[in-house]
Amino acid sequence: MSLAPLQIAVLGVIGLLGAGFYGLLAGRNLIKIVVALQVLVKGALLGLVAAGSVKGQVALGESLAVTVIVADTIVAVMGIALGVQIRRRVGTLDVKELSKLRG
Amino acid sequence: MLQVCLLAILGLPWLGAAVIWLAGDRRPDRLHRLAVAFSAAGGLAALGLLPQATDEVALRLSLGGVFGDFTLVPDGLGVLVAAIASVIGCLAIVFATDYMQHGHQLARFYSLTLLFIGAMAGLALSGSLLLTFLFWEITALCSYALISFHNDDPRAVAGGLKALVMTQVGGIGLLVGALLAYAWLGDYQISTFLARAGSLPEGVLGLIAFGFLLAAAAKSAQVPLHSWLPDAMEAPTPVTALIHAATMVNAGVYLLARFYPAFSSVPHWRLAVMVVGALSALLAGLMALACGDIKRVLAYSTISQLGFMVYAVGSGALFASQFHLLSHAIFKALLFLAAGALITALGTRDLCQMGGLGRRMPFVRTVFVIGACGLVGLPLANGFFSKDLILEGGLEGGPAWLYAGMLVSVGLTAAYSLRLVGLVFGGERRGPDPAHDARPAMRLALALLAFGTLSSWLLAGPLGRMLAGTLPAHSLEAVGTWRLVGAILAHPATWGTLAVVALGFALWAGRRAFTRLARALAPLLEGGLGFEWLNRQIVDQTRRLAALVQRSQTGQLNWNAAAILAGLLAAAAVLLAGGRP
Amino acid sequence: MSSLPAFVWMILVPLLAAPLVYLAGRLDRRSGLARWPYGLTVLALAAAWGAFVPAAASLARGAAPAFRLGAVSLQLDGLGLLLAAVALSLGLCVALYSGPYLQGEPGQEKFYALLLLMIAMIVGLGCATDLFNLWVWFEAMAVSSYLLVAFYCQQPASLEAGFKYLVQSAAGSALVVAGIALVFGVSGTLDLAAIGAAAGPTPAYLAAGVLFLVGFGVKAALVPLHTWLPDAHSQAPSGISAMLSGVVIEAGLVALLRVVGALLEVSPSWPVLLAGFGALNMLAGNLLALRQTQVKRLLAYSSVAHIGYMLLGLAITFASGEPLGAQGSLFHLVNHGLMKGLAFLAAGGLLYGLYIAAGDHGPLQVADLAGASRHYPLAALALSLAVLGLGGLPPLAGFMSKWQIFVAGFQSGDPWLMALVVFAAANSALSLAYYAPLINAMYRLEPSARVAGGRRLPKVLGLPLVGLGLAVVVLGVWPGLLDWLTGPAAGAVLSSLGGSF
Repeated sequence: MSLAPLQIAVLGVIGLLGAGFYGLLAGRNLIKIVVALQVLVKGALLGLVAAGSVKGQVALGESLAVTVIVADTIVAVMGIALGVQIRRRVGTLDVKELSKLRG
Repeated sequence: MLQVCLLAILGLPWLGAAVIWLAGDRRPDRLHRLAVAFSAAGGLAALGLLPQATDEVALRLSLGGVFGDFTLVPDGLGVLVAAIASVIGCLAIVFATDYMQHGHQLARFYSLTLLFIGAMAGLALSGSLLLTFLFWEITALCSYALISFHNDDPRAVAGGLKALVMTQVGGIGLLVGALLAYAWLGDYQISTFLARAGSLPEGVLGLIAFGFLLAAAAKSAQVPLHSWLPDAMEAPTPVTALIHAATMVNAGVYLLARFYPAFSSVPHWRLAVMVVGALSALLAGLMALACGDIKRVLAYSTISQLGFMVYAVGSGALFASQFHLLSHAIFKALLFLAAGALITALGTRDLCQMGGLGRRMPFVRTVFVIGACGLVGLPLANGFFSKDLILEGGLEGGPAWLYAGMLVSVGLTAAYSLRLVGLVFGGERRGPDPAHDARPAMRLALALLAFGTLSSWLLAGPLGRMLAGTLPAHSLEAVGTWRLVGAILAHPATWGTLAVVALGFALWAGRRAFTRLARALAPLLEGGLGFEWLNRQIVDQTRRLAALVQRSQTGQLNWNAAAILAGLLAAAAVLLAGGRP
Repeated sequence: MSSLPAFVWMILVPLLAAPLVYLAGRLDRRSGLARWPYGLTVLALAAAWGAFVPAAASLARGAAPAFRLGAVSLQLDGLGLLLAAVALSLGLCVALYSGPYLQGEPGQEKFYALLLLMIAMIVGLGCATDLFNLWVWFEAMAVSSYLLVAFYCQQPASLEAGFKYLVQSAAGSALVVAGIALVFGVSGTLDLAAIGAAAGPTPAYLAAGVLFLVGFGVKAALVPLHTWLPDAHSQAPSGISAMLSGVVIEAGLVALLRVVGALLEVSPSWPVLLAGFGALNMLAGNLLALRQTQVKRLLAYSSVAHIGYMLLGLAITFASGEPLGAQGSLFHLVNHGLMKGLAFLAAGGLLYGLYIAAGDHGPLQVADLAGASRHYPLAALALSLAVLGLGGLPPLAGFMSKWQIFVAGFQSGDPWLMALVVFAAANSALSLAYYAPLINAMYRLEPSARVAGGRRLPKVLGLPLVGLGLAVVVLGVWPGLLDWLTGPAAGAVLSSLGGSF
């Protein structure tokens, strides 16, 4: 039974990664895309913490996770900031509209 | 002394190129003088090198690693081609001082021409396969840049690009050959390769041999890679005479001759070379008959004559091929430069607007006819002796049916040459009168080349001695000029050839009898016998593929994310399929 | 402080200079030239070069300089030194160039600070020895580049490019973190060497390998993960385009190389995968570049193609265990940095003269180049040299590195690799079909309307062009000049592959 939490963690990682990618594929709103990115990273984070606990290096796993959170937050903030600018300059938050650069 | 000459042949033109580029376009007269000075110095150095030919490495620069040693080996073959490049390069530049008198961007013109002269000499003298490839590519680069020298003309741009890409595709053959040789022998030196070619596995040697044939066909504009040369006629005419008649296009023949001893034992290689040469000679001769642009006629004639040389190499008549290379370089440069004088005076290349120029431009007429005699191979002109040597060699070393094909090409040469001379100089005047006969600098270059056309065959003996003495791997025999001339005149084939020439003349003179045939064939010939269609297809299909790929780049973020996912799955599939190590 | 190894200063100097530059810029807001940030940046990069020399010397002596502070561990090896050399040389050129280029733009202090930060992160990335450190440097490099891409934050196209770049790059980065979690969970260590010793063909390692390949592959622009690249590289300020194409995607490649090297034992398919991506990159990059009408977008696609050559060289080493392929590939990395840097800076110079100086942010079209050689002789010559080098014509640097890769392919004796070399050579010929028209356009007599009304280029703009142009020619004539750099770097790649050969 000691494996059960690990299995839950693995399922959680896969589920979060899948959900994140689904969001990237299907999301039409810029903000939703950034949220999907967050979900994606959270899946990876869960994996890091779980890996730390499996190997008995909880502290290391969590410190890695904290570092990832910091970096990830910066990215999210930048993404939202760009989204705000795009709303202001292009006038839309629809990613379908955001395809002037192609080919 | 030898080293000084070598460095001068390569270095002076390149130094000149740099100096002229930096000098800029501000003072054209100074540019003319600089270009002539540098090219003349290079030409003199090349002439000085002629008596010093040797099969030893004269200069060595070690680059280390996989780049090996860069060596220069001034053997007979190399010195001959280098001298042709430097001397005719100098004459072309002298001619250009008049031809380009009112041209723009002179600095670029002279720089690239000088860069080419140096590179061509380097290509001939190189003793290392990598260095050969390097110079091979530099000459292609110069050729491209000079074909599209008039960048404002879309045809010039297209022609340059076509030449560049086609010779590059052919260059892959040389690349593969050089890489294979290095991978198996661990050395780039040509001498090593010639000495140890027998130790290579049969398949590898075959690949190298046919790779080199591909490269040579592209560079020397042989069927089926010939179609860039007629389009290269957009280049300024002195450049055409230099690069696309007298020197660069010889590089393929040179390459085949240089490596002949290693490849002659490869199954089918000799026959393949002979077939490529004979086909080129024949088809290009036909196309020359139907062409209405004076420079394009000469271009087809160049393809045809190069076909003679390639055929000669294939049949083992190496001396004949190099002898004809010399003759052809001289008389074809003469013909192109004379055409250049016509073009500047008339402002057109269209044969329909020429005619009746014989009396108005007597000097050009005289030299042009001398050049045409060389081309046809009439006695006393250099082409007579060299072409007959090729045919005799072919009769001995090749199958009879190919020899018959070559005889037809000889007849075609006579026919299209007569047609060309007739259309330009004979008959009625069909356009505005020429502004002037050839200008002084043009005359100087033309006169020297005309003299060469009539006399260069006297060099047969010394040339043979030089080649035989410095090319140990080629096992050539030296024969004195007069013994050679005697042998040619005594050979029955010579008289047969002359009869075919007369037949060719008669063919053109009696052309009315074939009107219907000519009308049926004309569209086919003007369309380049389907080769143009093939080229266009390749280009169009590549474009279509590119457009297809472009459509997949939607620029939509969702699709981009999907591509990441697809990449993930594909990579996983490949790694899984690999199994366990 | 004096006990710090020299190579750490290569990271520390730009890192510490970045906030100073920003502060100096905030305090000195009056002049449009942003003199202080500009001068400080150039100075800082010059100082970093001062640290490079002793670092290289100590490496040449056979030392293995290392540094450890808490969880941060750094070690300089040949590969790290090579990346540092490219980043610092291109960085200095770009910094010099950007002064006049950005004159009058708002937010220059941010530009310089982020540029310094990015360079520091790239150098650090090259020296990382453990997986997580590698990711941190990598992520920090990416973060500093997002804002640089969207530097023209008034322009819709820049914003679009920046946002797409951010999302795709962050998605790749998340995959890398997931891979790290997997490896950490299985092996319990993050040290690359220890992972290399522990890794075996288990599903967990295999999955981690795929995640790393794709995660870092997004940054290294493996086709089909490259879709952000043409947007970002064409919309960024030209100096940043040069950095992105010349160093940043190569940094992604180096990160990929480090990790794949450690996971070599996981699957025998690595060479196939690398060669496959290489072929795909060459073909797709060239075909797409063939269709472009915008100069910078064309150059961006050409970078996709050139990553293909580097992958081919690496695949050869992975397959044969001989260092030559990797050496050629890394030599090509350096040369590509120089040539593509030169191309982007020269194109940027023309963009500046024809558009930006007039306050216009439109893209530079190929048709605009017509007649550029008469008004901008230096920029035209520089761009010509760069694209000819990229097309692989001698005697320019690109030819020599391609040749080295090709020789390695043939020496491996593997018919598939030889066929790929032939394919690569054919691709070079194809690439000339889009490089050459650029030159044809520039050397036309008849100027385009833009060129006829173009502004003069500031002198300082020409300085990096001359430097890079000379380097491209000199390396083409004397390729052995960089053996001291590429040899040890290839050795480092080989030793990262472990004792499996």
